[in-house]
Amino acid sequence: MTDRKLQATAFAVSLAMLTTGEHAVAQSTSELEARVEAGGVMSSHMGTLPLNAIAVTPGLRYASKRLSISGRGSAWQSGTHWQLGNASAALEANTPLLYGVRAEVMANASRLFFDPTSQNHQVDAEGRLHFMRNRGGFWLGSGVARPLRVAAVQSVNVSSGGMWTKFGPATVRGSVTSFFFTKATSPDSAQPVENSAPCPAPASVDAISSGVRTLSSTATTGCRHQSRLTDLEASVRWEHRLVELTVRGGQRFGDSFDVTPESRQWASGQAAIWLTNKLAAVAGGGREPAQPTRGLPARSFASLGMMLAYWPIPRGVVPVETPLSLIRAFEVRPAGTSLQRFTARIGGVETVEIMGDFTGWDPVQLIRRGRDHWELLFPVASGIHQINLRIDGGQWIAPPGVPSVKDGFNGEVGVLVIEKQ
Amino acid sequence: MRVLLVRAVWVLLICAVQNSTAVAQDHDPLVRLDPTVRHAVAVMLDSARQAGLPTAPIESKVFEGLSKKVHSRRILAAARNVYESLRLARAALGKDASTDELTAGAGALRVGVTTAELANLARGQREKLLTVPLVVLADLVTRGVPRDTASQTIFQLWQRGAGDDDFYGLWRGVERDIVSGTAPGVALLARAREIPSRVPPQGTPPASGTRPE
Repeated sequence: MTDRKLQATAFAVSLAMLTTGEHAVAQSTSELEARVEAGGVMSSHMGTLPLNAIAVTPGLRYASKRLSISGRGSAWQSGTHWQLGNASAALEANTPLLYGVRAEVMANASRLFFDPTSQNHQVDAEGRLHFMRNRGGFWLGSGVARPLRVAAVQSVNVSSGGMWTKFGPATVRGSVTSFFFTKATSPDSAQPVENSAPCPAPASVDAISSGVRTLSSTATTGCRHQSRLTDLEASVRWEHRLVELTVRGGQRFGDSFDVTPESRQWASGQAAIWLTNKLAAVAGGGREPAQPTRGLPARSFASLGMMLAYWPIPRGVVPVETPLSLIRAFEVRPAGTSLQRFTARIGGVETVEIMGDFTGWDPVQLIRRGRDHWELLFPVASGIHQINLRIDGGQWIAPPGVPSVKDGFNGEVGVLVIEKQ
Repeated sequence: MRVLLVRAVWVLLICAVQNSTAVAQDHDPLVRLDPTVRHAVAVMLDSARQAGLPTAPIESKVFEGLSKKVHSRRILAAARNVYESLRLARAALGKDASTDELTAGAGALRVGVTTAELANLARGQREKLLTVPLVVLADLVTRGVPRDTASQTIFQLWQRGAGDDDFYGLWRGVERDIVSGTAPGVALLARAREIPSRVPPQGTPPASGTRPE
């Protein structure tokens, strides 16, 4: 590992920072989610042959109003034997949302496995302050990462900031993450970083462009270098009915001592197509930058497989506080003469029903069209109507996104005004 | 023989009438109500018809209560509430008010809007229907916006020519602000300021190419 060019950053840390932005958005109910992915993965980086493996990745996530715990691990089979691949465990805790502000604390322990000679473990913790509205927000964060069994780097200080916004079915995120760490080169890998002398500054332009050669010239005595990397990353997540797409790309800034050309830019994509409400085909691929704090090189990867997902809500164990928070969206749109299309985005439930004066106050079930997409075409005359919605046979509620009033029976009812077509 | 035949026909006729009554009762959802309550609802519906009021909202409230498995007495109270509010809405909005406007106005009255405030709205410009403004008004008061603030704001926007899209946009914005922690009244006033006036100032010459009336 020490012989290889070390041009990397805590990519997993920045990835976690990007994805947890979505978790922080108003999750006021408890849920349990289990997933298993199985498929093929290919990984390659400079100086090694590509690794092809079959991977099975189970994952579990429990989320309540203030706390989220998740774990994920993959078993890779390459050749004749199985071994542990990537794995992670995460804990997130957050405060209530008050005037659009929420504080969050995250702790992660992760293992990254590229091949038997490139693997690393790390623990990290970060605090974030989120400012959020219904369709967007931004955050500021600060934390520390501690790569394990990497003598060249002992601890990494991380500062981050980002923003996100929704455009219809798409969520766009951007983030800036800065990593500050001290890196040492020493013929004696057991020598602590702080015992090394500072590395000499490059004397010429040629030396600047070959920062590694400068380090190498002091290889016999060892030296330490204050490194700073800044990653600028953007991602777009698009969900429509049965398809979920995520595309991300990034640009790294830092001096050539820390960043080599193949780690300046990266891009990757992931897709999931839901074949049933629990089974999806997943594919991904792209380029990941090097992670110098973890001693991992840049790599290209591709994966293809199937995912089985299950969202049971064990009401006896995990109390569901309010079904309204399960509903991500509810819409009523014209769909032809006298027909209205009722659509809802509700995950982790078995049945969704509506009733109103246009159904004679008889419950009518919506049809599941995807993982969390529900739909119904129903004739509704123009004029003013009342509507209620029910999840899993529970209480009738006024659907979100529709004006509502008290129903006179200690509940609420939504009021729809259907225009003449 | 003839006597027997006549008696058989009478028996068949009586059986047919009874059967049709039984079928009608099976298909009448009101049969699930307590008999006393059912009679009271029937009288109420008849009174509404005689007064020229729409009966659909009253029947709808009864069916809603039955579907939500509410006690008959509570259903009767809710139905009476709807009937009274329709009657007052008719008085406030006038005879020209449409069924939808009456239903929406009755809903606003039931959440505490006064008949005077409703009449005020009706005196404004009547080129468009009042249905959506009244629905939004009722929702805002339900969410905690002070009644007089809500009524005044909706009236001013109505006078300034705000359309249905403006009112829906106002409602969505206020809902988001309330969820984010803003006081309901403050949220409404702030969002209302964002809606421009859609009524041209008086004395403005007509646009070129149009014939002045």
